Amino acid sequence: MTIPKPSPLTQPGVTVSDIETASEFETKLMRLNVGPQHPSTHGVLRVVVDLDGETVKRLVPQIGYLHTGFEKTMEHRTYQQCVTYSNRMDYLHGFGHDLAYVLSAEKLLDAQVPVRAQQVRVILTELNRIASHLVFFGTGILDMGALTLFFYTMREREQILDLFEMVCGVRMNYGYFRVGGLSKDIPEGFVEAARKFISGFPKMIDQYATMFAKNDIFVGRTTGVGVLTGEQALDYGLTGPSLRASDVSLDFRKAQPYSGYENYDFDVPTSDKGDVNARFMVRMEEMAESLKIVEQALDALEPGPVKDPDRRISLPPRQELETSMEAVIFHFKLATEGFHPPRGEVYVPTESARGELGYYLVSDGGSMPYRVKARVPSLINLQSLEPACIDGVFADMVANIASLDPVMGDVDK
Amino acid sequence: MSLTESVVTELKALGGKPAEFKQMVSVTVDVSDIVNAVQTAKSAGFNMISDVMGVDYLNYPQHQGKRFSVIYNLYSITENERMFIRINVNDGDSVPTITGVWHGANFMEREVYDMYGITFENHPDLRKIITPEDLDGYPLRKDFPIGETPTVFNDGRFIDPAAFRAGLTGQDSGLSGHQGGMRKGYSADAPMPDAPKEA
Repeated sequence: MTIPKPSPLTQPGVTVSDIETASEFETKLMRLNVGPQHPSTHGVLRVVVDLDGETVKRLVPQIGYLHTGFEKTMEHRTYQQCVTYSNRMDYLHGFGHDLAYVLSAEKLLDAQVPVRAQQVRVILTELNRIASHLVFFGTGILDMGALTLFFYTMREREQILDLFEMVCGVRMNYGYFRVGGLSKDIPEGFVEAARKFISGFPKMIDQYATMFAKNDIFVGRTTGVGVLTGEQALDYGLTGPSLRASDVSLDFRKAQPYSGYENYDFDVPTSDKGDVNARFMVRMEEMAESLKIVEQALDALEPGPVKDPDRRISLPPRQELETSMEAVIFHFKLATEGFHPPRGEVYVPTESARGELGYYLVSDGGSMPYRVKARVPSLINLQSLEPACIDGVFADMVANIASLDPVMGDVDK
Repeated sequence: MSLTESVVTELKALGGKPAEFKQMVSVTVDVSDIVNAVQTAKSAGFNMISDVMGVDYLNYPQHQGKRFSVIYNLYSITENERMFIRINVNDGDSVPTITGVWHGANFMEREVYDMYGITFENHPDLRKIITPEDLDGYPLRKDFPIGETPTVFNDGRFIDPAAFRAGLTGQDSGLSGHQGGMRKGYSADAPMPDAPKEA
C-alpha cells in the first residue's frame, strides 16, 4: 500500500503562488477539434484549439470544406457570364459581390453606366447589406444561447428577399447586374414596396435593441470579450464593420466612392471598444445608415436607361433586331463570344457587408478573363480570430466567431 | 508629392520598375528585395496589407520573362492611396515571406502556395489552405487539367467524373476509387479498385 502524498496546501509556509507553479498543478495543453459540422461555426469552419484548462493558448482555423473553384471556373466563362458565379461566393451578400465584379469589368472597358442603373445597384446592395446583417444578428446571438431574436430578424429578412424576388425572380444567387448596367429595369411597384419596408424598419431596429443591445445578459456576455486594438486589427488585415469596431474609420463607400455613393449623405459608425459587443453595435448602427442611403436613392430615382448604350457591351433592344442589320451583328457577336476588353489588370475596392471586397481582373484581350482574383473579406478577417481568442476562455471563442461574421462560401471560394 | 510617388521613388532606388494602368500604380522589384520593399512602403505610410495574389502567365499572349507573378496589394488608410508591388518568379522558385511585416499575410501567402505551388521561405505555417492536403498539383496553374479528367490525389486516390455521375444516379455505388498505395484507414489487403478508364 502506498501512502498518498500530502496535499501542498497542508504544508506550512506554502503560498498560493507556490501552488500555482508547483509541478503537480501543471496541466498539459489539450488539443480540441471544433467543427466542421458544428452549429456555431456558421457553416463548415473547423477550428483546432490548444487549451490550458479552459484558456485558449493556440488556435488554427482549418478551412476549405466549401471550396468550389469559382476563380478557375470564371477563367473559362465570358465576362458577362461571370456574374453568375460571383454572387454564389458570399450567398448572404450576393449583390455586393456582383457589384464588385461588374465594377472591375467596367473599369477595364471604360463602360458608362447610366445613373439609374447605379442608383438601383446602390438600393439593392444596401438592402442586401441589411439582410446580411440581420442573419448576422440572428445566428450570432443564437450561438450565445438566445433563440428568440433569430425569428424576428428572419421575419424582416423575408421582406427584403421578397423585394429581391420582385426585381430578379430569385431570393438568392441573383445574377441581376450586368457589365454596363442591369439585366432589366426594376418592375412597377418596386419603389412603393421598398418605401413600405423602409418606413417600417426603424421600429424593428428599436425592437432588436430592446431584445439584445439593452439586455443585461448579452451586454455582460460580450463586453470586454475578444478585444482587438486598432493596430492589431490592421496587422491581421481586418476590414469592414469589425475593423470599425476597433476605432479605425475605413469605409470604401466614403474613402473611394463607387457607383454614386458620393451623392448620398450617411455616416460611418465606429466604436473605440474593439470587443464583441462593439462589433455587434457597429453593425446595428450600420443598418440605420444603409436605410438612409436606400431612402435617398429611392428619392433620386428617375426614369432612364439601365444599360450602357454602347452596342459593343450591351445587347441591342429586341425590336431593333427586326429592322437593323447592325443590331443583328452586334447581338450575334455578344451572344456568341462576348466583348473583348483591352489588356491590363484592374482592381476596384468596394465595401461589402464584411469588409473590403474587390475583384482583381487580368485581361489578355480575349473574351474571357485571364485571371480572376476575388479579395474576399471573410477569409482574411478570419485570421483575426486568433488574436481575439488567445488567453480568453473557450466559451468566448463562439462569441468571437459570430462577431467576425465569416460566411464560409466567401472564405473558401 | 503624393505618398505613392514618394514610395515609387524609394523603390526605384532599390531597382524597382514602376508601371501604371488606369491610375493603378505597380512597381516590379527583385524577389530578394521584396521584404525590404514592403517594409519601405509600410514605414512610408502604407499601413494595410490588402491582398497577396498569384498570377500564372503561361498562356498569356506575347508574355516574356518568368512564368508567375506574385502581387502585393497595399493600402494606406491615412492617405487613401493604393499601390501594388510585384515580383516575378519561375516554377520552383521560393519567395521570402512578408509575415514578419504583417501577420495578415499568413493566409494570403498560404493561398498562393496552395494555388500555384510558390513556396514562401520562413513562413510560420506553410500548408495548403483550401484544397485537400493530398491533392496532386496546383489548381490555378494554367496547365492544370480541367473538364472531364479524373482528379488525382497524391496517395493514389482519384475521383473519376464518369463514376461520380454513375454514383449520383444510384446505378453504381462508386464515387471514388483508389489506385496504387493505400489510403489511411484502409487495410493493406483490401481489394484494389479499377483504375479510371482512358477517355
